[in-house]
Amino acid sequence: MTGYLITGRPVPTTHQTCTDQRFSRVPTLQLPKRLQGRGTQIIGRYGHPCMLTTLEQSAPGWRSRLWADRWIYLFLVPTVVLIGTFTVYPVLASLWFSLLDWNGFGSAGAFVGLANYQELWGDRLFWNAFSNTLVFLAFAVPLRVGLALFLAVILNATFPLVRVFRTAIFLPVVTTAAIVGVVMRYVLDPTSGPINLVLLNSGILDQPVNFLGRSSTALYAAIGIWVWKWLGVTLIYWLAALQTIPRDVYEAAEVDGANPLYRFFYITLPMLTPFTIIITLITVIEATNVFDLMLTLTGGGPFYGTEVIDIFVYRQAFTANIPRLGYASAAAIFFGVCFAAIAAVQAVALIKFRARRRSS
Amino acid sequence: MNNYSAEMAGISRRAILKSGAAFAALAAVAGSRAFAQGTTTIKWWDIFQPLIPLHTKMWEDYAADHPISVDYTGMNPSDMMQALQLAVRSNQAPDVFNVPSGDPATLASLNAADWFAPLDDSFVFDKPYQQQTLAEGFTQFGGKLYSFPIFSFRWHSTSLWHSKPALEAVGASLSDTANWDDIRAAAKAATTDGKYGLLLPLQFTARIADHLTDLAMAAGAPGRIDWRTGEYALASDEFVAALDFWLSFQKDGSLHPASASLDARQGRSRWAAGEAAMFFDGPWNSGVLTNNFADFLEGVEVTPLPTPAGVDKAYAQRPPIPGTFFISSQSEHAKEASEVMQLMTTEEYYVALAERMDQPPLDLDAVAKANVHPTYRKAVAGFADSVRLAPDPLIRNPDVAKVYAEMRDITPGLGEIIQGAFSGSFDDPRPILQDLADQMTAERDRAIKVATDNGAKVSVDDWVFDNWTPGTDYTSDMY
Repeated sequence: MTGYLITGRPVPTTHQTCTDQRFSRVPTLQLPKRLQGRGTQIIGRYGHPCMLTTLEQSAPGWRSRLWADRWIYLFLVPTVVLIGTFTVYPVLASLWFSLLDWNGFGSAGAFVGLANYQELWGDRLFWNAFSNTLVFLAFAVPLRVGLALFLAVILNATFPLVRVFRTAIFLPVVTTAAIVGVVMRYVLDPTSGPINLVLLNSGILDQPVNFLGRSSTALYAAIGIWVWKWLGVTLIYWLAALQTIPRDVYEAAEVDGANPLYRFFYITLPMLTPFTIIITLITVIEATNVFDLMLTLTGGGPFYGTEVIDIFVYRQAFTANIPRLGYASAAAIFFGVCFAAIAAVQAVALIKFRARRRSS
Repeated sequence: MNNYSAEMAGISRRAILKSGAAFAALAAVAGSRAFAQGTTTIKWWDIFQPLIPLHTKMWEDYAADHPISVDYTGMNPSDMMQALQLAVRSNQAPDVFNVPSGDPATLASLNAADWFAPLDDSFVFDKPYQQQTLAEGFTQFGGKLYSFPIFSFRWHSTSLWHSKPALEAVGASLSDTANWDDIRAAAKAATTDGKYGLLLPLQFTARIADHLTDLAMAAGAPGRIDWRTGEYALASDEFVAALDFWLSFQKDGSLHPASASLDARQGRSRWAAGEAAMFFDGPWNSGVLTNNFADFLEGVEVTPLPTPAGVDKAYAQRPPIPGTFFISSQSEHAKEASEVMQLMTTEEYYVALAERMDQPPLDLDAVAKANVHPTYRKAVAGFADSVRLAPDPLIRNPDVAKVYAEMRDITPGLGEIIQGAFSGSFDDPRPILQDLADQMTAERDRAIKVATDNGAKVSVDDWVFDNWTPGTDYTSDMY
């Protein structure tokens, strides 16, 4: 590959023309060592007469470039090894496992081709888990992102105790999700839980609500808990994003007589668009990883009412009497592919939407 | 220890470090000395938390005059299989372990994956009641002895336990022959003042499936499989009636509302805290209550598996009991492990085991000699009259193991369906139960086909036992 390299090395043209003492010690023009003998030649120079920079035409191969940037690669090694071991390898291994009939007791399974995927296609409980995950996403993500933005706009102002409020909202984030699941079972308990006690004692209800025990309410209770638990993180994102909007824009709008609602919809929201996209994306990813909370909160019950895809995979791989690692892997891979497809469609739509907006 | 308390004790930080280092050095020396003496350490994993004091003492006594010690790790039942899978695959399996589910299908799969090693030839298990328990696929593989049960098969988990003071306070009581309607009425009466009649551990699906099966058998069902025809009987009238009986508590409002989110341990402690009057549980309830709620136990009464009509005897058919502990094929100490396991076959051991008040010991007569709570004695005495041994196709035809190993769990299973009925996921459980029975039949047919394709000689007729009469023991000579 042919390219131009501009070395940062200042080279005086002649000692006669350059009187600046700072450059007097610079050696005569020569190629940097790393490029010598590799088909690189100097084709020109530019810059201040005292500090000419050489313009070199070089044809370094990938090897020489690799060698040239060896320190970069050296520092990348730990990351590559860790990601390779704990992310890439498991994904590739799952891909292979998904083609096996394997109970995990023996050292290897039997190759069955796409049979696991075929079975998934007709598995009601897999689709139930799939739809539970989508319902979770559909409710939890807008709720968390929207509510956090609402709170961020309020808490972005300065008023007494604002830090206390911010801390209070952030506090659940630092607790362990699995512990939150256990504690919430007590909080939502139909007989002794504080929520039911308040509802009963205040006369709003005359019968306790079994939030986690009814199929109709369990998933939504879980969504509520998840949103409460993670709201603080999103709030911090939004607060950081809000800091990027220059104050003078608001001041100008105020001078023009825009009320707070107008300022929000015509300044804040449009200026936050890039943040909205990234915050939503992060939240969507987090909303598909709710294993720890769900396992301790409901274990996927009652009657698979809160069985999201993670719990389905876990059940197949570990809690069944005869585990099915191949089938569990197939479920995980299949869901991953579907999810990637949804994300791709979303990305394409976004690009088209932007392009249309730009052209209009 | 923080600085302040160290100063208060007159010890400097350096002294603590020095003594710590000295202690570590001493421990290292002691450890290497023990090794030099040739002590064999058996790594032992099991889930029998209530038996820890008994086993630890037994092993320590044995280690005092034998060069064998046991390194015990108590496991959570729900994590055990996962931990074992990882340990076996990474060549770090314990020498001895138990298989929590213990069902022959799992054992067949594990044996097929070469997890087990046979007991040493020196192992003796020859008393008549011991010999009766030996069966291919349960304790033996290929005719060799791999394991043995420490518990009797004569037990069920569906005795009805109630708090006498709670019932007396509302003018109710329960006799040993109380029928389903009596129990429902008593529960209704006891539901008052923030307290409820009955608590069911609905989150523990395996347990409630056992409860319901026992109740269905009390109503006359042959069990989950009707051995006379070999067909799954899960959608029979008796199963539906038993589920209706349970659901009636919810309709009456006498079911503890938190039932849906409680497992057996949590349910038991809330029952013991006085939140409900009745609780279905196995004989180990006496043991757990003795250890944790001794005051409450004094007011507790146990009645046998209740029947719809209140007859004085209901039969529960139980499958043969599988071996309790297995030696790992990766163990280099199979002989020493067998030696330690031999300790669990003596009369004294059965008496001591009874005194832990867990599942009844293999020798039921030991309970009479043991110092146990009256409720435990009563519950176990009832088992001798009412629990009968069911046949098992695996004993008739060892090739059935290949079918068991191939059969996959059907979901939703019985436990999940019960949970679903309570959570309002469907109105009529009968078609769902029928669907389960149909799916299990189809899965068994599929597994039989796979097994026969691979050369096994097995057919669905192996599940049919014409000469079986419900309410009787199906002994080995009847196969």
